[in-house]
Amino acid sequence: MNAAAPAEMTSGSNAALVTFIIYTLAVFGIAAMANRLLRGRSFMSEYFLGSRGLGMWAFALTFAATSASGGSFTGFPAKIYTHGWILALWIGSYMVVPICTMGLIGKRINQVGRISGAITVPDVLRDRFNSPGLGLLSTVLIVFFLVFNLVAQFKAGSVILATLLEGVSVFQSATTWLGDIMPAWSILADAQGNPIDAAYLLCLIAFGVMVVVYTTYGGFHAVVWTDVMQGIVMVLGVAIMLPLALSQVGGLERATRELARLKPPQAVQVTLSETARAASADGVIKAGTVLTWQDPSSDTTRLVRFPRDTAATEENGTAWPALEYTEAIEVEKFSTDADAALSAGVTGIEVTQTFSYVTGPGPNPSDVSGFLPLGVAISFFFMWAISGSGQPQYMVRLMAFNNSRTLRRAIITVTLYYSAIYFPLVLIFCCARVLMPGMQDQADRIMPAMAVMLTSNIGAGWLGGLLVAAPFAAVMSTVDSFLLVISSAIVRDVYQRNINPDASEQTIKRLSYLTTLLVGIIALVGAINPPQFLQDIIVYVGGGLAACFLFPVVAALYWKRANTVGCLAGMLGGFAAHFAMHLIGMQVYGSFVNAYRLFGMDPVVIGLFVSMLAVVFITPLGPAPPQELVHKYFYRSKAT
Amino acid sequence: MNELEEDPVFLNSRREAIVIAGLWFAALLWTVPYCYICGYQPLDDPEQLRTVMGIPSWVFWGVAAPWGACGLVTIALCMFCIRDDDLGEAPEDAESELSAQSAGDLT
Repeated sequence: MNAAAPAEMTSGSNAALVTFIIYTLAVFGIAAMANRLLRGRSFMSEYFLGSRGLGMWAFALTFAATSASGGSFTGFPAKIYTHGWILALWIGSYMVVPICTMGLIGKRINQVGRISGAITVPDVLRDRFNSPGLGLLSTVLIVFFLVFNLVAQFKAGSVILATLLEGVSVFQSATTWLGDIMPAWSILADAQGNPIDAAYLLCLIAFGVMVVVYTTYGGFHAVVWTDVMQGIVMVLGVAIMLPLALSQVGGLERATRELARLKPPQAVQVTLSETARAASADGVIKAGTVLTWQDPSSDTTRLVRFPRDTAATEENGTAWPALEYTEAIEVEKFSTDADAALSAGVTGIEVTQTFSYVTGPGPNPSDVSGFLPLGVAISFFFMWAISGSGQPQYMVRLMAFNNSRTLRRAIITVTLYYSAIYFPLVLIFCCARVLMPGMQDQADRIMPAMAVMLTSNIGAGWLGGLLVAAPFAAVMSTVDSFLLVISSAIVRDVYQRNINPDASEQTIKRLSYLTTLLVGIIALVGAINPPQFLQDIIVYVGGGLAACFLFPVVAALYWKRANTVGCLAGMLGGFAAHFAMHLIGMQVYGSFVNAYRLFGMDPVVIGLFVSMLAVVFITPLGPAPPQELVHKYFYRSKAT
Repeated sequence: MNELEEDPVFLNSRREAIVIAGLWFAALLWTVPYCYICGYQPLDDPEQLRTVMGIPSWVFWGVAAPWGACGLVTIALCMFCIRDDDLGEAPEDAESELSAQSAGDLT
C-alpha cells in the first residue's frame, strides 16, 4: 500500500531530529543529577545498586524497560512482519512474565542481599556459599554472555538512529564524507572486504558515545531514571501507533483477512534427476540455492529455494526439502539467482505443508518446518517466564527495591505495562505486513519505517520522532543496564573481592568509571561488524544466562542443603548443555544461531533441565554447608 | 545461646514462589495446547478463518483471553497472597546510620 516510505521518512526527519536532540539532552540532564547523588553515600552501593532504595515507579519501570530491549522494538516487530500472527503465541508467556520474573525470587534475593551486603549476583553466590571460586565463575559467565548481547544492542541502536536521521542534510553530508575516507581503513570492512555502511558507522559512534557517557557518569540512578523516562516513551509510542495502524489499514479484521490471503513460502519436496544430484557439490545443495521448474500440469514456472545446506540422505533419496515462493515480489527477486544446471534436473515439486500468516506454525524463510513447531512453542513459555527469572541483570534490580510493598505494587504495574506493549505490538505489525509489503529483506527496519510512514500519512512528521524514540529508548535502557552489570562484575567481584580488598573508595570510584567506559568501547568496536540476526543473538544470550544461573540461584535462596559443588555443577552443566545445542546446530545446519533442538525443544529448556539435574543430584554428593551459613540465611533469633 | 526459628521471610517467599510456579504452569496448560489444537490446522480457504474482533479466534481464546485472566490473578496474588515482610537492613545502611550517629555525638 505504501512503497514510497523513504520519501515520507525524509519529510519527517527534521522534526524527528529535533525530538531526538531534546531526548538526548534530557538523558544527559538525568545523568548529571544522578552523579550528584553519588556524593555522600557509599559509592559502590550507590553506583551499582542505587543504595537499595528504589520506590515503586522507579523499580517497576526500570525492570520493565530493561526487559523491553532492542529485541522488543526491532527484532520482535521484524519477526511479526516475517511470520505473522503466530508471534502472539511466541510472546504469549509474557502474560505471566512479571509475576514470575519478579515474584519467584524477588523478595528472597533482596533479603539475602541485605543480609550479606551483596551488590551483585556473583556477590550473592559467593557470600551465600562463602566461595570465591563460585563468585568468579559467575562473573566470567555474566561477562561472556552480556558482552555478546551488548554488541547486538549497539547494532539495534545504530540501525534505529540511521533510520531516524535518514533525510537530514547534515547527516547525509557527514555520511558522504565518512564514506569517502573509509575505504582507506581496512578495519572498517566486512568479511567480504566491502566497506561498512557509513551511515550505520556514524550512528554507531553517536549512539555508543551517548549511552556510554551517561551510564559511566551517572551510574545506577542515571540508568534507573532514564529507564523510567524511556519506559514512558515506549508505552506512549505503542499507544500512538496502535490506533494509527488500525485506522490506516482499515481495521484489524481487514488486516487479518489480507494476511490470510497472502501466500508465504510453502514447504515442498523437490525431485531431482540423478544427473542433477551429481551436479550438486559433494551431494549437498547449498543454502540459498534457487531452482526454477516449468510445471507441465499448470504451465507455470515454479520457484524453490533451499533455506539450509541440504544433504542427500537415505530418507530423501531424490526428493529434497525446500521452500516454494509464489508471491510475485519474491519470485522476481530470487529468479535471477536460479541455478541453471540444477534447475534443468528438476522433475517435480510436491507441496508437503502449507503455511499461512494467520495460523501456526507460521511461515519461516529459513526452515521448512515453519516458525513455531509445538516443541518450540513450549520452549518459549519457559524461555520468557522461567528463564527471565534467571537473568542476572534482572536479579540486580530485584536487589534494589526498598521494601516488599514496593515489590507487590511493582508486579501489578509491570503486568499492566507489558500488556499495554507486547500484545498491541503484534496487532501493529500484523497491520504493517499489509501496509508496507516487500520489506522482507529489511524486516529489522520495519519499526522505524512504520512509525515514520504512519505519522507522515496524517501529516504529523514530528510525531515520527517520538515514535522512533520508543525503540531507541528500549535499546538504551537495556544497554545501560548491561554496561553496569558487566562493570560491577569486574570491579566488585574481580578487583575488590579478589585482588585488592582494601582498595580505597577513590580507587574503586576511578576504576568503576574506567571499566564502564572500556566495556562500552569494546562493545562499540564489536558492533562495527555486527551480527546479522539481532533477535537470535538475544535469544541465545537470554537462554544461556538462564541455563547457568536460574537453578543455582534458586537453590542458594530456597534450599538449606545447597552447597558450592552443586551450584558449580548446575552452572557449568547448564552452560555446557545450552552451548552444545548451538555447536551441534552449527555442525548440522551450518549456523550457530540455528541451534539443534533435542526432542524438538529449544536449547534453553535442555540447558535448564541439565542444570536442574546437576544441582539436585550433585549437591548431595558434596559436604553439607556449614551450620553458621545455614543459620545466617535461613534462621533468625526467636523473639522473646 | 539464642533460640532460633526459621526465617519467616524465607518461608513466605518459598510459599509464594510455589503459588507463582503453579500460575505459570496453568498458563502454559491453557495457552499452548489450545493454540496447537485450534490454530495449527492448514487453512484451505482464507475466507474460512474465524476471527473475534479482527483477531484469529485461536489467538483470541488461546492467548488474549488467558492473558487477561493471568493479569487478574496476578493482581489478586499481589493484593491478597504476597505478604509484606521486613527485608532487613543492609550493612552499608547500618554503617551510614552509625557514622551519622557518631557525627551527631560529636556535634
